[in-house]
Amino acid sequence: MNWDLFIVAIMAGAANWAFRALPILARTDQIATGGWLERFLSATGPAAVATLFTASILPALSPDLLRLLPVITGTLAVLATYFARRSVVLATLAGALVHGVTVWLVA
Amino acid sequence: MPPTTPHFRDGLLASLPIVIGYVPISFSFGVAATRAGFSVFDAFALSLIIYAGASQFLALALLASGAPVLVAAFTLIAMNLRHLLYGPALMREAGSDATRRHAWAWAWGLTDEVFGQALGSLARGQRFSEAYMFGLGIGAYAAWVSGTVAGALVGGGALDAWPALSAGLGFLLPALFLALLLSISSRRQLPVIVVAGVATVVGTLAVSATTGILLGMLAGAVRGLLRR
Repeated sequence: MNWDLFIVAIMAGAANWAFRALPILARTDQIATGGWLERFLSATGPAAVATLFTASILPALSPDLLRLLPVITGTLAVLATYFARRSVVLATLAGALVHGVTVWLVA
Repeated sequence: MPPTTPHFRDGLLASLPIVIGYVPISFSFGVAATRAGFSVFDAFALSLIIYAGASQFLALALLASGAPVLVAAFTLIAMNLRHLLYGPALMREAGSDATRRHAWAWAWGLTDEVFGQALGSLARGQRFSEAYMFGLGIGAYAAWVSGTVAGALVGGGALDAWPALSAGLGFLLPALFLALLLSISSRRQLPVIVVAGVATVVGTLAVSATTGILLGMLAGAVRGLLRR
């Protein structure tokens, strides 16, 4: 066991648990119902998911069309499948499948 | 007919796209950890104790480059500050009567993807239940830890011969986030989503990916304050 790694892991893990659990246990979502905090928190969810999507797709964007094409086809597959079936699971799998097939075709 | 309360197995089933997305990423983490000179047990312990993908990769980079322990720890802690917002946002969507008796345990599993999936299910009209949260969280956690161990045991180059498969697996998380975004989007939330996306791009290009994530979430949430 690498002890430096273990100490870092314990500190980061304890902070992760605190960040994830304590705001729920402290009922911070019920403070100031109807006020600014409620508007802030109701926007947090969509803002977080939009941010995570942007952050995850950014490294895949490239001026090289051959590298960009699988991203475009995969994204279109997610959009088409979601609007056709309204299923997060199917849309995710379709996006990954079409992305992988496009990489295989352009290779 | 009012929606029924989802059970543990419903949560497990809902974790499937996360599991499929987590396995290749955690597998890559296991490979990276052993390549950086850490043992299989070290890789396993990092995934078990930290359980936050990007910061685990960063932990490897920091420690392998000889960064001081406290600097490495506080960098990782700062990177995960965004998780402070997830619980309140989720519980607000769940409603004021939602039970949180076991939140001290299931909230450990509230990663980016688990949060997104849970929020999406609530936005689609599903009721909140702690059993569902346990199922969702345990499925994802098990996939993350077991994928790490598999990667550390197998070592590097396992997917090198299958570039299309590797690319498809790598696209799972962006695809999942996009599908989740579609499931929770509404015309009212559109300005929040646009501001969050733009701020993420600006923060990432100007400073770093971590800054981009923090800036995007905060800017989107602040944009929500301006809503009437």
